[in-house]
Amino acid sequence: MNTTYLPSDFLPIVVQLGLALAFIVGTMIVTHLIGPSRKSSLKDDPFECGIEVKGNARTPISVKYFLVAILFVLFDVEVIFMYPWAVNFRQLGMLGFIEMLLFMALLLAGFYYIIRKGVLKWEE
Amino acid sequence: MEPSMLQMPAIPEIIQLIPLKNYLILSTALFVIGIIGVLTRRNAIVIFMSIELMLNAANLLLIAFSSYKSDPAGQVFVFFIMAVAAAEVAVGLAIIVMIYRNTRTTDVGFLNKLKW
Amino acid sequence: MYPIILLSVLGIVVLFLGFMKSKNILLPATLLFLALALGSNFIDWNQGPLLYFYGMFSVTNLTLAFNAIVLISAFLIVAMTRGFQDDEEAQPAEYYGIMLFSLVGAIMIIGYEHLIIFFVGIEILSVAMYILTGSDKRNLRSNEASLKYFLMGAFATGIMLFGIALLYGATGAFSLTGIRGFVSTAAGAQSYILYAGLLLLLIGMLFKVSAAPFHFWTPDVYDGAPSIFTTFMSTIVKTAGFAAIFRLLSHSFAGIYDFWYITLAVITVLTLFVGNVVAVYQDSFKRMMAYSSISHAGYLLIALTALTAQTERSILFYSMAYSVATISAFGVLMLIAKEKSLDGRPNESYDAFNGLAKQNPLLAFVLTVSMLSLAGIPLTAGFWGKFFVFSSAADRGLIWMLVVAVLMSAVGIYYYFRVVIASYMKEGNTGKIRVAPFYQIVLVAATVITILFGLAPGFFEQLL
Repeated sequence: MNTTYLPSDFLPIVVQLGLALAFIVGTMIVTHLIGPSRKSSLKDDPFECGIEVKGNARTPISVKYFLVAILFVLFDVEVIFMYPWAVNFRQLGMLGFIEMLLFMALLLAGFYYIIRKGVLKWEE
Repeated sequence: MEPSMLQMPAIPEIIQLIPLKNYLILSTALFVIGIIGVLTRRNAIVIFMSIELMLNAANLLLIAFSSYKSDPAGQVFVFFIMAVAAAEVAVGLAIIVMIYRNTRTTDVGFLNKLKW
Repeated sequence: MYPIILLSVLGIVVLFLGFMKSKNILLPATLLFLALALGSNFIDWNQGPLLYFYGMFSVTNLTLAFNAIVLISAFLIVAMTRGFQDDEEAQPAEYYGIMLFSLVGAIMIIGYEHLIIFFVGIEILSVAMYILTGSDKRNLRSNEASLKYFLMGAFATGIMLFGIALLYGATGAFSLTGIRGFVSTAAGAQSYILYAGLLLLLIGMLFKVSAAPFHFWTPDVYDGAPSIFTTFMSTIVKTAGFAAIFRLLSHSFAGIYDFWYITLAVITVLTLFVGNVVAVYQDSFKRMMAYSSISHAGYLLIALTALTAQTERSILFYSMAYSVATISAFGVLMLIAKEKSLDGRPNESYDAFNGLAKQNPLLAFVLTVSMLSLAGIPLTAGFWGKFFVFSSAADRGLIWMLVVAVLMSAVGIYYYFRVVIASYMKEGNTGKIRVAPFYQIVLVAATVITILFGLAPGFFEQLL
């Protein structure tokens, strides 16, 4: 297999990039030119499909969303430790398996703590 | 098993086309941008983003060195940095939210209850 | 190694104990767990140097002694935390759990052999401290302290990590032995990447132990945090931090001493100067203690800069003396600040101490002993701490640094004695302060330790 690449081998990517850009810019210009332009208060609404606008979007949101998002980030990132473990599953053997179970048990202890704290209770 | 005992395949030549020095320059540049951001910005969230930039500069450097040395230890370190950074993000954002609930702002200018 | 595992598990247990109806069990349970951890610490005593966790963590008698200091300090501090039960907002289970977890971090950085362990340990310790600093959620000062500590701490972490990455690039290793192996080669002594990495790593670590010019967060954070957690920060983080810096410099970089010692010497003198001189101008006792902790970081740095065979022992003795004296000083402060609170806020100024000795001779005595120890007056442990540190510097021939240090200790006597004078000489209307029996035991124990090691420092050497 050939593993050496010359800069010229990347030409298709450059062409693809150029085409993509040209398409976007082209369609934007064309719609601007051929489309009719009307201005009214209705047209300036964020949503045109009939739903009434209800106040400013930048209002404080319940902190519950924040908690769930942060907890998601925490538990999500722990998965990265499983990638190297999965790749080397055979070499690590039984001991590695038990260690990973222990790791997951600690994570689940944290998860159980969160549930007991009532973080995931939405109706309150 | 010791991490360094796991062998990594030799790196493809294509990676070696880019000299290691370039990675060093890139990550140093990112690191310096991060430092400048921390020192000059006034918004807690932006300062925090600058710090994340610094961490990622370190990550990039570790990965580059790790690839060039064909030694997985550097990449394992990056996993730990990422996991710990996530924990730090959680705590940091919680602190910022706590302050926001008390003061309705994330600008560090209000932090004058204690003289600097 | 045993305390690491034990404290991690028991920390989770404390968290779950918090779900029980009665909060009264938490304090005794935490104290019991700390005692267990302290006991398990000595399983490896006199077993010679041992390596655990695939050679990433090392145990020697000296690291065990550092662990013991950290655990005993934590025990004394936790014993003073009865106040959580009166506070509606407080979350005692979480506080105790986080304190136990942070001790795991402290022990990890005391005995690390691999930079991953070091990094994870220092992050466990710091993140726990960010939370504890901000634990007084409704208090804007606490919020502010927490945010400042967090931003500065994370900034320091970033610098430290970049340093570690550069070190890895230069040496190809994360283990202390691997780095030492490279440093001792001819190429290692010439590598600029290595030098840059070491400098960045050192800056990050000095940030965490608040050495000047990286100290600017310290007074604000110590001032804003609840006093009990300030005590925790100024004793445990400092002890563990210095153990970690010592480990890095002595195990890996002793070979290029000529390179780093000038940098460290400048930082040492600056720290001594800033800590002591600015402390003179403080009106608040708590803020003075923050600057005092900076100045003590300076004395500990003297021992590091000298780096003789005696350094580890002198750091050990010094941190022991400093921790015990700080704990008793803050113990007295917390009682008085609560007694004399103004508009619901604790009063931490010097004036609060006026006339303390009349009705509370015991508290005044405890405070006096701890101030004498911090100032380094003979017959207290603090004197011998300074003596060992200074003599290791004299062995190295750092006379000019000694001159600065002695001058600065003289400055220190002035501000430490202000509070003693206030409590004995000045007129004040301090009534009899009721001290819980357990609290009293802690204060007396700390005082006894200070005097005991002040009278017989050789006793400490024999314990090792």
